[in-house]
Amino acid sequence: MKPRRPGSRAALIGAAAAFVVAAALVSVFVGAANLNPVAVATALAGKIPFLGVHSGLSALDSAVLFQIRLPRIVLGALVGALLAVTGAGYQGVFRNPLVDSGMLGASAGAGLGATIAIVYLGGLGPAVVPVAAFTGSLAGVAIASLAGAIGAARGSLGSGPATLLLAGIAVGMFLTAAQTVVLQRSTQVLQQVYSWLLGSLSGASWQQVIEILPYAGVSVAVILLHGRHLDVLSVGDDEARALGINPRAVRAIAIGSCALAAAAAVAVSGLIGFVGIIVPHVARRLAGPSYLTVLPLSLLGGAGFLVLADTLARTVLAPAELPIGVVTALIGAPAFIWVLRGTRAVDT
Amino acid sequence: MKPLTSAASAVLAACALTALAACGSSGSSSQPSAQPASPAPGGGPATSSATPAVAQFPVTISAPGGPVTIKAQPARIVSLSPTATEDLFAVGAGKQVVAVDLSSNYPSGVPKTSLNGVTPNVEAVAGYHPSLVVTDQDANGLVAGMKKLGVPVLVEPAAASIDEAYAQITQIGQATGHLASAQDVVAGMRANIAADLAKAGTAHSDLSYFWEVSANPYYSATSKTFAGSIAAMFGLKNIADAAAKAADGGYPQLTPEYILSAKPQIIFLTDNQATDGGQTPAVVAARPGWPAIPAVKNHEVIAMNDDVAARWGPRLPLLVAEIAAAVESAAGK
Amino acid sequence: MITVRDLTVTLDQTRVLHGVSCQTPPGGWLCLIGPNGAGKSTVLRAAAGLLAYGGTIRLGEADLGSLRGRARARAIAYVPQAPVLPPDMLVADYVLLGRTPHLGYLSRPGRRDRLVAEAALDKLDVSQFTGRRLEQMSGGERQRVVLARALAAEPSVLLLDEPTSMLDIGHQQQVLELVDGLRRSAGLTVVSTLHDLTIAGQYADELVLLNAGRVAAAGSAVAVLTPGLIAEVYGARVEVRKGHDGRPVVAPVRNVQ
Repeated sequence: MKPRRPGSRAALIGAAAAFVVAAALVSVFVGAANLNPVAVATALAGKIPFLGVHSGLSALDSAVLFQIRLPRIVLGALVGALLAVTGAGYQGVFRNPLVDSGMLGASAGAGLGATIAIVYLGGLGPAVVPVAAFTGSLAGVAIASLAGAIGAARGSLGSGPATLLLAGIAVGMFLTAAQTVVLQRSTQVLQQVYSWLLGSLSGASWQQVIEILPYAGVSVAVILLHGRHLDVLSVGDDEARALGINPRAVRAIAIGSCALAAAAAVAVSGLIGFVGIIVPHVARRLAGPSYLTVLPLSLLGGAGFLVLADTLARTVLAPAELPIGVVTALIGAPAFIWVLRGTRAVDT
Repeated sequence: MKPLTSAASAVLAACALTALAACGSSGSSSQPSAQPASPAPGGGPATSSATPAVAQFPVTISAPGGPVTIKAQPARIVSLSPTATEDLFAVGAGKQVVAVDLSSNYPSGVPKTSLNGVTPNVEAVAGYHPSLVVTDQDANGLVAGMKKLGVPVLVEPAAASIDEAYAQITQIGQATGHLASAQDVVAGMRANIAADLAKAGTAHSDLSYFWEVSANPYYSATSKTFAGSIAAMFGLKNIADAAAKAADGGYPQLTPEYILSAKPQIIFLTDNQATDGGQTPAVVAARPGWPAIPAVKNHEVIAMNDDVAARWGPRLPLLVAEIAAAVESAAGK
Repeated sequence: MITVRDLTVTLDQTRVLHGVSCQTPPGGWLCLIGPNGAGKSTVLRAAAGLLAYGGTIRLGEADLGSLRGRARARAIAYVPQAPVLPPDMLVADYVLLGRTPHLGYLSRPGRRDRLVAEAALDKLDVSQFTGRRLEQMSGGERQRVVLARALAAEPSVLLLDEPTSMLDIGHQQQVLELVDGLRRSAGLTVVSTLHDLTIAGQYADELVLLNAGRVAAAGSAVAVLTPGLIAEVYGARVEVRKGHDGRPVVAPVRNVQ
């Protein structure tokens, strides 16, 4: 990698915030409904109090803009922010830039939870799926952490995060297998389950935004407040402890809040991959390795990235729609290879 | 198979899980070549009278997957497809059916087992000592496996058109020794459907509809699909047609924005039951922005019988009747 | 004043230290020597709070075992033999990590912390590298940056595990002279392990020779670095000469039949 002086923290964060605003502006003016841009602009201005602008949109177009397009943009930004900051957080915890937000059984647990809800709990109504995905995601991380702790106590790899990471992979495989077993029992719901697994923001509503906001707020606040601790972890457990930091406690707090953030995201969007790897990596390239900068930069970058990805998802094939998980994978997989190219050996 | 699973196959293809997408239903390559039923002597629902069958065997069925020869009237039939189960019971072969798969639930009292039609287990099927197996897809080496045991397998994939559905019923009647009553069933279906079409009218190009296969994301069915072709008989305009791409097999994913701005006057829900999505008309009315759609405003959101809407067997007239009722109601507004 | 009494450490059900005692006054330099596996690093790790131990380690009157992590880390800075150096991290950020023990759980480094870190970089003559990444530093520069991080904590005791093991003789001398200067100017107490017996004898006030987890000998360089003890503990054949400053020079002797 070429030597590069990282830009100033405030400038980078300001640029990232501008990126989010730009992405949202692009997104609000395009869509399958082909709303008149001038009418959209006036309608938006009309929402500003005391400005006295009157919306030129019909009731239906207004519903498209305010009930479908806007909540979708806001939810996309929230989910993207959560996924990216979670990925960055996990990368700090595991000192490995290739860890994603869905690791540690989070995605697999959410998938199993959603599948169980779709197959067995359909009678409770569609609203049960996000709750089940949220619960499953947290349960997945809890089981992986427990398995990691048992492995660390008895195993030969020691108490390092590597044991936990491996336990997470094993638990993830197990949960995915369990999901397949459940799915085999009820093949009529294959389409529903796979649609969910591919991720989608098409059901976005203000209701969902409000529902995940508390979890998102708490978890993101906790993660951001631990950026400095993640920096200390980067010199290894021994030196971190010699500096007066308890690495296990920091890891537990960071993993807990990352799990909460990922669960909130997955509950409303299904599984969206690669955001948690690509965005923090770009942040690191721009700002250097310090999590004090990487975390907020990932938060904003993830928000902007997912808003743009979702804009593509709902316009490239318009009036049909691409699953957003497919869009992030189409962009993310090649970018992931680029990440690998620029990644040095890691020492977890 | 059902449109649900076909839409799934488009999704699955996207994530390269093609192994699970064994259920092609776009159907252009699978025209059943059995003779369509000869003109029926009269209307009215078919009676499943026992048909003298001995003379009909051995019989060779020109099934979509190739000819299948059945040496004698099968005494023990296993059905691995809900549509085939309905067909079998409708033509009067119900007494010969010893086991049906876990998704078969009509008519009531079918011998339901844990057999899985999508991922069948050859040994489990063989355990019922069938003399004929009827299914809608050859998965997990079912046909080859049963061939080793000398058991014929009749594969009747999801019908792509109403004539294919008639042909399948006739073939199943032929294969089980109930050809005449199968022909009666088909004639009855034709008569019922013709009556509904006549009553509701076939020139409703001013009415547009949205056929909801699943929600979040929203999958629909175009006029090229089986369900769409039924709606097209009434002249209805399908809002998904403009969104269709070659790759989606007639089941495009639509953005909610598009659905709203297309202003459909009727919405047909085939995902309203607890087992397949629970998207009831009340849930639809609560979706953000949807109350602005004419269909929602005018209470023309129809909760279909999801099974009837996705199985193209003897209950087809029910599907037509549901659509006819909706058309009459919407046209009156 | 650091005082170690009857230190015992058990790792993986094996006792590796059997009652080690030693001490050094404020501003002193205590050097642990001994063959591989004698337990030198273990003593340092115990003092740094990285291992559970029996016996007591006191810092002045305070029992280290009763100090919580941050309080202990403010008093004692620890530099392992092979510090983890995140390759992309900037020198300035790395040295600032040394301020960790002084920061409240949710607070961030402030102006004073930056000033202390800059002073530490100055003292070790690496302030021109602040904008560089760690991977761009040479071995000698790296060791000075690591020492700067330790100093940034403003400790009263510096624990150095083999601080010169990766360096050539010139850089060894440069680093040890820096450490020696620091303890003289700032009254820093140094506890280190060193492989090279001659160098250990030159810089330390007090040598403690460990053998299989026990103290084999302790005292001044002249008292500890004798051919007899070295032969007994290391199984090495050496001759010990007197250098121009009176300190012993240990030279290996080849076995010529």
